[in-house]
Amino acid sequence: MIILGIESATTQVGCAIAGHEGVLASAHSSRGKRHAEMLTPQIDFVRRQARIELSEISVVAVDIGPGLYTGLRVGISAAMATAFALNVPMIGVTSLDLLAFPVRHSPKLIVAAIDARRGEIFHAFYRQVPGGVQRVTEPAVGAPDDLAGELLARGEDCLLVGDGAVRYAAHFEDLRGVDAAEPGLAHPTASSLVQLAHAQALREEFVPPSEIAPLYLRKPDAVEAKRIAWDRK
Amino acid sequence: MSTAEPSEQLILGIETSCDETAAAVVANGTRVLSNVISSQIDLHARYGGVVPEVASRAHVTAMTPVVAQALLEAGVEPGELHGIAATHGPGLVGSLLVGVSTAKALALVWDLPFVGVNHLEAHLYASFVEEPDLEMPLVVLLVSGGHTMLVLMRGHGDYEVLGQTMDDAAGEAYDKVARQLGLGYPGGPIIDRLAMTGKPTIAFPRPVLNEGYKFSFSGLKTSVINHIRKNPDAKTEDVAASFQEAVVDVLVTKARRAAVETGAKGLATGGGVAANSRLREAVIDACLEDGLTPFLPSRSMCTDNAAMVGAVGWWRLNSDGPSPLDTGATPNLGLPVR
Repeated sequence: MIILGIESATTQVGCAIAGHEGVLASAHSSRGKRHAEMLTPQIDFVRRQARIELSEISVVAVDIGPGLYTGLRVGISAAMATAFALNVPMIGVTSLDLLAFPVRHSPKLIVAAIDARRGEIFHAFYRQVPGGVQRVTEPAVGAPDDLAGELLARGEDCLLVGDGAVRYAAHFEDLRGVDAAEPGLAHPTASSLVQLAHAQALREEFVPPSEIAPLYLRKPDAVEAKRIAWDRK
Repeated sequence: MSTAEPSEQLILGIETSCDETAAAVVANGTRVLSNVISSQIDLHARYGGVVPEVASRAHVTAMTPVVAQALLEAGVEPGELHGIAATHGPGLVGSLLVGVSTAKALALVWDLPFVGVNHLEAHLYASFVEEPDLEMPLVVLLVSGGHTMLVLMRGHGDYEVLGQTMDDAAGEAYDKVARQLGLGYPGGPIIDRLAMTGKPTIAFPRPVLNEGYKFSFSGLKTSVINHIRKNPDAKTEDVAASFQEAVVDVLVTKARRAAVETGAKGLATGGGVAANSRLREAVIDACLEDGLTPFLPSRSMCTDNAAMVGAVGWWRLNSDGPSPLDTGATPNLGLPVR
């Protein structure tokens, strides 16, 4: 079974290909907000590095967010089109799950935090279980100070990971027992995606492309505002 | 069974520049095998205009099913296609990116050339989809919610922008006036319908009527708003008819002047406002008087669609070859001029 994974939820964009033996090839780049420009050449490069034909891919996995909306849609659109064109099923994984994956061996409470812009972060909590980690809270969006307050209230040792944790580090640095993961793990990666998706694919936990939906966690501003001040446009 | 002839080149066109998710299969730039449009008008109507984030979200959901439908209706297998074309600008960046990302992924998997299409050029080619033998030079009046311009087409891919709007696009003026009159969205078709029952009794200004080929609709919109404020009892039908008459008068006066002064053989229209019934009447009347050949694409070819994208994709693929796979979206892309 060959899995193509596409990930574009943060300022980084990447893709990876995995088989039974693990990750066969991957590429990630994080400069210049050029997700749409980079992704298609990346997929072509990675499949050549993995020495496979695209027709050998049996599942397309994608990071469904939460993350930066425009970049996220580039990856999801490309992934849905790829799965449609290959006539194969898909697996959607949240960006927060991908952040928790590389630090899964930590016994602490893992707090995945992605920069949501507008002074907020997307976050979810994870706990170590046999064979990996389990998400113990639903993905949510909120102010860094509110998250810091929640960690303070929980009073247990935590490991913060993600670009939201990096950006708002000052909000957490005085909290007792709260550590930050290394900045090199700040972005969800396509390599984590294909590894997580491979386990799900073995359990046949895939869906048709029509069931893949981005996890925005916020309504469009217009929906919140109910009306738009067109006179000022 | 495929409906394609063996000698034909089939292009899958994709359009997502604003609020329509569209895909079409077009043979040799002219024969439309399918033309599927998923409109978001209902989603945006409650806000009185296109909301970019709402549009982008809807494109993601609709895109792949629309492509599948276009292939199904055309009776075409991916292996029979010769290329994938998608609008890469101008338009809303978040919307454009959905179409471009989808098209490039399909092109990569199916090992087909990808062609990035200019949305303005696509509107110019709407006429050629339905009338491949249109004679050039041709003046095209391109009027939509985002653009108002006069283009001289000397040959395929050979354009000159004679003039364009300095402020609002004509379609934008329709939307804003409709909003002021409390008529809802989209303003164009609503005002068009209402104007049929009214009389153009109010002499609204014809901005920059005698100044070359440029347009301005911002002042006209303000005059209409001021008139409504000063005359709250004015009949809405008459205001609509009078506003529409002023817009159409300016558009047609300049378009026919351009056709005569450039020695064009014909006058064609494109863009959503070109579906306006009063404008269509006036263009035909002007062409009859001036001895020009009028060409008015059918209404569904005026508004955003992917058949015109597939048509330009075919012309561009054969003249310039494929676009690179690192093509992105260019929200303010201009018409390519020589």
